[in-house]
Amino acid sequence: MTWLNAILQGILLGGFYALFATGLSLLFGVMGIINLAHGDFAVIAGYVAVVLVPSTHLPMVWGFLVVVPIFALGGYILQRTLFQAALSRGDPLTILLVTFGLSVITENALLQAFTANGQSLDIGGLIADSINPNNVISISDVSLAVLIVAVVLLAALQLMLSRTSTGRQIRAVADDREAAELVGINHRHVFGIAAAIALATVALAGLASGMITEFAPTTGTSNLLFAFEAVVIGGIGSLWGTLVGGIVLGVAQQIGAQINPAYQILAGHVVFLAVLAFRSRGLFAVREAA
Amino acid sequence: MLAGGGLAVGAAGPAGRLTIDRGSVMDETRVRQLRERRVDRRTMLKGIGAGALAVGAAQAAAEVGFTKPAFGVTSTQTIKIGYVSPKTGAFADFSISDSFVLKKVRSSSAYAKGIKVGGKHYGIEIIPVDTQSDPNRAAQLAQQLIQQQKVDMILTTSTPETTNPVAGAAQQFQAPCLATVVPWESWYAGLGGNPGAPTKNFTYNAMFFFGMKEFAGTFLPMWKRVENETHASKVFGGMFPNDADGNAFRAGFPPFAEAAGYKFIDGGAYTDGTTDYSSMIEQFKANGCEFFVNCPIPPDFNTFWKQAEQAAFKPRLATVAKVMLFPSDAKALGSLSNNIATDAWWTPYPKYHSSLTGEVASSLASEFEQQTGNEWVDSLGSSYSLFEVAIEALKASDDPHDHAQVANALQHVNYSGISGPLDFAAGPAPGVGIVKPVGVQWKPGKKLYGKKFPWQEFVVDNSLNKDVPVNADLVPTNP
Repeated sequence: MTWLNAILQGILLGGFYALFATGLSLLFGVMGIINLAHGDFAVIAGYVAVVLVPSTHLPMVWGFLVVVPIFALGGYILQRTLFQAALSRGDPLTILLVTFGLSVITENALLQAFTANGQSLDIGGLIADSINPNNVISISDVSLAVLIVAVVLLAALQLMLSRTSTGRQIRAVADDREAAELVGINHRHVFGIAAAIALATVALAGLASGMITEFAPTTGTSNLLFAFEAVVIGGIGSLWGTLVGGIVLGVAQQIGAQINPAYQILAGHVVFLAVLAFRSRGLFAVREAA
Repeated sequence: MLAGGGLAVGAAGPAGRLTIDRGSVMDETRVRQLRERRVDRRTMLKGIGAGALAVGAAQAAAEVGFTKPAFGVTSTQTIKIGYVSPKTGAFADFSISDSFVLKKVRSSSAYAKGIKVGGKHYGIEIIPVDTQSDPNRAAQLAQQLIQQQKVDMILTTSTPETTNPVAGAAQQFQAPCLATVVPWESWYAGLGGNPGAPTKNFTYNAMFFFGMKEFAGTFLPMWKRVENETHASKVFGGMFPNDADGNAFRAGFPPFAEAAGYKFIDGGAYTDGTTDYSSMIEQFKANGCEFFVNCPIPPDFNTFWKQAEQAAFKPRLATVAKVMLFPSDAKALGSLSNNIATDAWWTPYPKYHSSLTGEVASSLASEFEQQTGNEWVDSLGSSYSLFEVAIEALKASDDPHDHAQVANALQHVNYSGISGPLDFAAGPAPGVGIVKPVGVQWKPGKKLYGKKFPWQEFVVDNSLNKDVPVNADLVPTNP
């Protein structure tokens, strides 16, 4: 029963990792941007919620109604200005350095503005609620909600990419930018939309993280690593792969912890390395990365 | 990721460059050692941050240190004291009271007008520097203070990551150094001593704080009282990470508890930054742990405690170390903070008076609250006491520039100040003054002497220090 619980907890944890990795996966899959500031953006989402949500008199759980639109808009603007300028240089290192610089600036700016004090998004008694079918298994309501959000979000994104006109444009630009331009697609605008979606998912991940744990200006980096692993395990460019990657990572960590808590993080890294070694394009690789 | 690794090597340069002391081969070797120790992305971030902020730091230093023409020889009429603390970065919580303390200390008569040492009058200059919570930077700053600024004493505070590199540099370059807010075992081990047989004297170093014996002496009486009240079983769970503090606790705390008849369930040497604690919580539940002790980093406790609540792991009493030291931790945890117990090395409640001004502890705290709008913190008292002890040691020597003599005086200070009586000659190791902590619990705030805050620390057990009045009942964390 304890093993069953470990696997269940792993799946729940995987949902969180997948949610966290969605934005990273999208930015890399469409634009080939490795966003090193991804974790820091999630932390910003937490601070935006701390600052803005109380003034709207919404409960903190509904904070995403405020934060997600701000981030979507911010994502579009960021892509059309800074990221596009960096991409236009043509050197993949430039955009990497730009996101790295953003990460450093973000951390220090947040430190200046909010000090190093830890913050958490207070959702009251809701955080303690759980479903307990027996004495061993307990499923946190919040973690379950995060898993559901991750699945619904990825399903919606997949549908959008495959069925809608905007989705087809995004895929077209991702596959062959020049050809897409030839048939009249404005790739800058399409990139902007993709970045808006990516940043919106980062906001959701940041809020989930803020509810589940505590964040501070410097905590973004540690989450980035797990998000990277989820993306790579699942396969670059595959959204369902990101979900599976997150869950594989979460379950691996929980099984490791069940053997010995010292192996929890290590087990995740080992699975990550194994995937890299034996299936370097990930479990669900759809195509060679741009 | 490969590109990221490649970047790191290049980016470590700017941070290292700042510290190279021209003309000294040994210094360059040391800097290189420090630089090569660990270069991951986090270090790289800190390095770049250090580079970016160094300009500001240099300006700050210029304001206090470089205003007079300095050609390597300091004025013999001025005593220079360096103050090394983590003003920014992960440990900045500890330094929230720094600006206030410096202002208070500088306005006291000893620091404002100077003191008489060996029949001569000396002015005192304080040079504060910020480690940015980076151990490497702390070592570099200490070395700069000693060799370039020619300070006569270094004061340092808050976590082994700050105090240990500074103490090490002070020992190496022979400058008197006083540390606080670090378990003495960790400080002593950091200098290269064996806390199990603490006979070796690190002559340039002294510190005041406490150790495992006092942690146990604070926590176990609280366990006993809750046990008598609730008939809880004598089993405790320990959440000790695989880091310096965690391993020190795993080695040092259980023997005291086991001697008192408690059974220890080890949650395992998990990694800092772990995002899920289900299996550890399950283990504590399965073994019927009724008491809980830990020393994690703050975000990890936040995660753990929420998950414990979800999984219905409800220890009768949680006595935590290293976390829940500051109001911000309690605020971040919200209502789940209620009746979590921890140790407090300083509170505004006892009738302890400043040896600099005679001001009483509660007045210092309420002044801090009025001026900053923040709730008092334990480190307010300990940081203040660093400057009190410095004066005691300087007054006890003949020549403030005689480092060996001042260091020896530091190791023999015996006085009473804002942290209560401290005797550096009577500690468990040479130069260690023991502060007697009390047991406190976080409860919704009420007006005690100054302002009311959402969450406040109330003294619930004063077994170790009767000078501190108890001002609330000890209530089980989970009834």
